[in-house]
Amino acid sequence: MEELIKNLKLQVIDALNLEGMTPDDIDNDAPLFGDGGLGLDSIDVLELIVLLERNYGIKLSNPAQGKAVFASIATMAAYIAENRKK
Amino acid sequence: MTAKLSDNIVSPLGFSTAENVSAVLAGRTGVKTWEGAFGIHEPFGASLFNREEVLEKALGEGISGYTFFDTVALLSATRAIRESGIDPSSPDTVFILSSIKGNIDRLESDPGAVPLWASAAKIAGRFNNPNTPIVVSNACISGLCALIHATRTLLSGRFRNAVVVGCEVQSRFIVSGFQSLKAVSAGPCKPFDAERCGLNNGEAAATMVISSQGPDYAWKFGAGAVRNDANHISGPSRTGEGSYNCLRSVLNHCTREELALISVHGTSTRYNDEMESIALSRAGLSEIPVCALKGCFGHTMGAAGILETLVTMGALERGIIPATKGYSTPGTSYPVNVSPFNRTTGKKAFIKLLSGFGGCNAAMLFRKGGES
Amino acid sequence: MRIARWCRITPSSVVVDGKAVSVEGTGSLLLKDLYRKFIGDYPKFFKMDTLCRLGVAGAALLDSPGEPREDRAVLIFSASGPLCNDTHYQKTISEEDYFPSPSLFVYTLANIVTGEISIRNHWKGDTSAFVIPGFDAGEIVASTLSCLADPVTRSAICGWAECSGDDSFDLLMVLAARDEGGLPFDAETLDYLYGRTYQEP
Repeated sequence: MEELIKNLKLQVIDALNLEGMTPDDIDNDAPLFGDGGLGLDSIDVLELIVLLERNYGIKLSNPAQGKAVFASIATMAAYIAENRKK
Repeated sequence: MTAKLSDNIVSPLGFSTAENVSAVLAGRTGVKTWEGAFGIHEPFGASLFNREEVLEKALGEGISGYTFFDTVALLSATRAIRESGIDPSSPDTVFILSSIKGNIDRLESDPGAVPLWASAAKIAGRFNNPNTPIVVSNACISGLCALIHATRTLLSGRFRNAVVVGCEVQSRFIVSGFQSLKAVSAGPCKPFDAERCGLNNGEAAATMVISSQGPDYAWKFGAGAVRNDANHISGPSRTGEGSYNCLRSVLNHCTREELALISVHGTSTRYNDEMESIALSRAGLSEIPVCALKGCFGHTMGAAGILETLVTMGALERGIIPATKGYSTPGTSYPVNVSPFNRTTGKKAFIKLLSGFGGCNAAMLFRKGGES
Repeated sequence: MRIARWCRITPSSVVVDGKAVSVEGTGSLLLKDLYRKFIGDYPKFFKMDTLCRLGVAGAALLDSPGEPREDRAVLIFSASGPLCNDTHYQKTISEEDYFPSPSLFVYTLANIVTGEISIRNHWKGDTSAFVIPGFDAGEIVASTLSCLADPVTRSAICGWAECSGDDSFDLLMVLAARDEGGLPFDAETLDYLYGRTYQEP
């Protein structure tokens, strides 16, 4: 799981162009959206959906489903561990 | 006051403005579900040309050897210019092209054709026009911005006539992009409906020849306004800010009573139609009939402002407010006077309203002069 | 209309109101350095394509974000529009590796740069993107002046923002206002300013 989380953070930093951030800067449980977290927006959600499909073979067709999955790095990692196809 | 001299629409519903207006009033649509088109596996709803038919019509006008985008634009421009009686090669005439992606389908095979100015140069060049044409590329409001720009340019006295061509053809590039934004509906779109779930892509070219002077009975171009939400590059403002500010500005130049309708954007995405209902309500226009035409043509992007304005004009000339195809059940927070049926009216003025990515919004007032 | 302020950015030089601005790096690094020195607290900058970074950096050299205003227009002219970013997006829709990127697609529209400038600065006025074959001072001036037909518009950030690659761009941006003072807003002046790039000795 630790390995998955570290890779996932690197992938998120790369996909969302989080300039100057390292995996250590992102708290596993910090909210990805809204205040107090990474402050991601609606296009970022869509980009994360592409990331899941491309890197893990997970198709998330309904963006509304994304709210729970993309709550934090920890929730994303748990969802990936359970549903990954590659 | 600037006036429309002539026009043309080339779309999957027909090759003249009259044909397109009749198709809309008869409830026809060019939209159907495509699977595998452009090599895209996920189904999408779109109104696409029969390309052979377009090329054949173009050949009939002596237009050949151009890219598909340039061909469609030229076909529409040629027919509108012929009807106008203006001299397109005069230094008093300027060409204005409205498009978002032009020849983007040639990005890998023929990149020299892709810059939008290259298409504009081909179009103006065919008519031996000596002026450098300008392209307005302002996302989905481009067509209305091109009309506003044309009107302002003619008012400034720089030119006497303007040929304003709006054109968009669909491609793997555009459809995949809108799909990646989860904005495309696989079935027919449903503007303002409770069940709406995205837009349909559309192809069309539409042309207006505009002059600083026109006959009394011609359609006149009133005030136009462009305003930015300054909120988000792809999501409409939750308060309808830019659209409301545009409407507020245009309403300084007309009374609510004289308006037959607002010809709205109505893309059929959840956020756009909701935003428009808020903007209309804030502007005190909830009672005025609205109509959205994307159920018939799909979202024709750079052509939309000109095409939808022309169809609205054509319908009002026949005393009809067109139905909003695809609408059946109210689905916005604020009431909108939208109908699935054609309605009658004797009024001859309307506002065209559009919104687009980059947070931009535009509105413009049109009024028809006395009887011919 | 008069030119209140102006700036010129090339991949190797930055000039504001006729004075060279000291910057580190060239090309995309130069734009990042401008961000550090003149913007600093807007991570969204790094999500933008090069055309938007260029436009937002240019606007930051001319004015700072303030109260929302409707009287400021943003008019950008270019030859290539978003072509540079188009090629980046195209790579995400190849036959072999088809994963269309929404964040790249939104920047494939020529006018997003006008939106990004408006968003950062809270400008709710007229915004437009125009495509012309090359830098044309006469067209830029005439089109901007015609926008004054809208009585709400009192000033404009306008100019040439061309981007043919992530390290290859060219910007002349001016803040033109109805108020008195400053250089004349005409084609001759714009042509002169366009030639004012500062080269390191």
